[in-house]
Amino acid sequence: MTSVDSPHRALKVLEAGEGAFHPVDVDGFREWVRDHKDRSLTPRLMTEREAVERFVDDGDYLAYDCNYIMRGPNSLLNEIIRQKKKELWLCGKFTYVDVSLLVGAGVANRIDCGFFIAAPNVQRGVRDGSVTIHEYSNVIMTLRLRAGAMGVSFLPVRSFGGTTGFVHSGARLIEDPYTGDPTVVVPALNPDVAIVHVNQADIYGNARVFGTGIAHVESALASRKVIISAEEIIDTEEIRRNPGLTSIPYYAVDAVVEAPHGAYPGTCPGYYSSDSAAVMEIFQAIRSDTVGEYIEKWITPFETHAEMLHARVGVAKLLELRSQESIREGYHP
Amino acid sequence: MSRAEAFSEREAAMCTVARMVEDGKTYWVAGGGTPLYSTLLGKRLYAPMAQYITEDGVVAPEPSLPFEPMMTMVASRSAHRALAWGTMNSAGLDAQLGFMDVGILNTLQVDQHGNINSTALGEYDGDHRRFGGPGGADTIAACCWRTILMTDQQKRKFVRQVDFISSPGYLDGSPGARERAGLPRGTGPWRVVTPWATYDYLDRRLRLIAHAPWVTVEDILNECEWLPLVADEVAVIDPPTEEEVQILRAELDVRGQTTDAAGEWIIWDGERYVRGT
Repeated sequence: MTSVDSPHRALKVLEAGEGAFHPVDVDGFREWVRDHKDRSLTPRLMTEREAVERFVDDGDYLAYDCNYIMRGPNSLLNEIIRQKKKELWLCGKFTYVDVSLLVGAGVANRIDCGFFIAAPNVQRGVRDGSVTIHEYSNVIMTLRLRAGAMGVSFLPVRSFGGTTGFVHSGARLIEDPYTGDPTVVVPALNPDVAIVHVNQADIYGNARVFGTGIAHVESALASRKVIISAEEIIDTEEIRRNPGLTSIPYYAVDAVVEAPHGAYPGTCPGYYSSDSAAVMEIFQAIRSDTVGEYIEKWITPFETHAEMLHARVGVAKLLELRSQESIREGYHP
Repeated sequence: MSRAEAFSEREAAMCTVARMVEDGKTYWVAGGGTPLYSTLLGKRLYAPMAQYITEDGVVAPEPSLPFEPMMTMVASRSAHRALAWGTMNSAGLDAQLGFMDVGILNTLQVDQHGNINSTALGEYDGDHRRFGGPGGADTIAACCWRTILMTDQQKRKFVRQVDFISSPGYLDGSPGARERAGLPRGTGPWRVVTPWATYDYLDRRLRLIAHAPWVTVEDILNECEWLPLVADEVAVIDPPTEEEVQILRAELDVRGQTTDAAGEWIIWDGERYVRGT
């Protein structure tokens, strides 16, 4: 038990998790924003290749929103694999296949766990020490992002206490300085880079998400570098006509990539369905430990996501997925 | 209502949970699978005014069934005709505020105090098999007023102490353990449902309160690593009705993603239920 002197009540840390966590530096983050985030309305539309080259670095902490089968930023994830980035640390929440895909591709080796399918390649990595996992939960990870997006260094939360995950995390159990009750606090998360797929954005990065999400707004605001991929690039005049629809403001965004069908093989709700056969294929690949073959078939032979869609999927299939998505209300305001 | 002549054990567990669903309460259902279909069945037959919430912040949807494979969250069909769309943080924070009455979860392993393991079997710091992690279940188990846990009745799943607490039950079982760990007052596990048995808790320890007609109490206890408490009178679980299994198969899980999976078949042989395949 350690304590910090306070004029009113000693702040006591009752228990401390032993896990490493991405360093928290709130003033450093503010200075990054001051020095790197462009507050002028300058176009930041670029190709997925340029965006990933410029804004994803080896060793970065990467947050993606939703996942590979549900409005995931797949054109960007695939480009990260093509560019053979190294040693990424993943925000592995609300994930089925993404973690195993990125570990299998050799681009990621460290994971904050909320949920992901622990495929054979991840199991192997954990056993031989080449993959490190830190334990959290889905909501704890999104609340860490919330704290990061609030500009504070930690956040009290009402779950996670008492778990074994707590022991292997960066969480603390403290005596609440106001009530005296035991309270779990978790470290804020400010990823190095966030990638988010949205329905619409303008060339400056004002972005609209129409469906549900996991923590797209928090991820964008909390991250040092932000790449948005958008199904549609729309005119800024349209943004100005209905500003209430803007989920993420331009000044949080470093790059905008036009990516129609950017969530393929997953769904972009209201726009197109998932391609069930292709979704099953990636599940099968991660379960049967053939991620490498999946990557060689779907990702590395192509220069761009658009080229893959054209060559591997075809216009007829893409149109079919669009017509299969019969529910439109809520996604076309 | 006529009894079903043949059903899977997994269907039986979903019917048991469906009958626990109450009008006017909110259900935070984990992922897809049995918790979601149990809730949908309960709403359809017994409690139309029960509402449910999913991890991506969908509040009270009227989903467009059937779901595409795996697409039980975020997708337009699963979010259809909801009253509100939010995010994981809106769901999590509403749960922190006390808006979620009941959480329904499934798991790999449960122990005598209702702690849940979905992370690792074996020695975490040594030889172990890794699983997916808590997902949303940690917050569901921490913040919903009650939780219903669904699992299979197997010795390797019913253990004295889980290898890893992914989501909290009554922790070490001592009074106030959850509060001392920072969890909200007055919350905790409420029922565990397997295809064979229903448990409640007495003094924060699992207690067998009902068994399926095709197994005995002894069969159940043989599939527990330790001896749970047993109620003075162990009730017999009403088996699924024809209507329940029809709705499960023909309206809810049309693709058989959940109803087809695992569990033995239970067949009415004219006099009693027997296990067969």
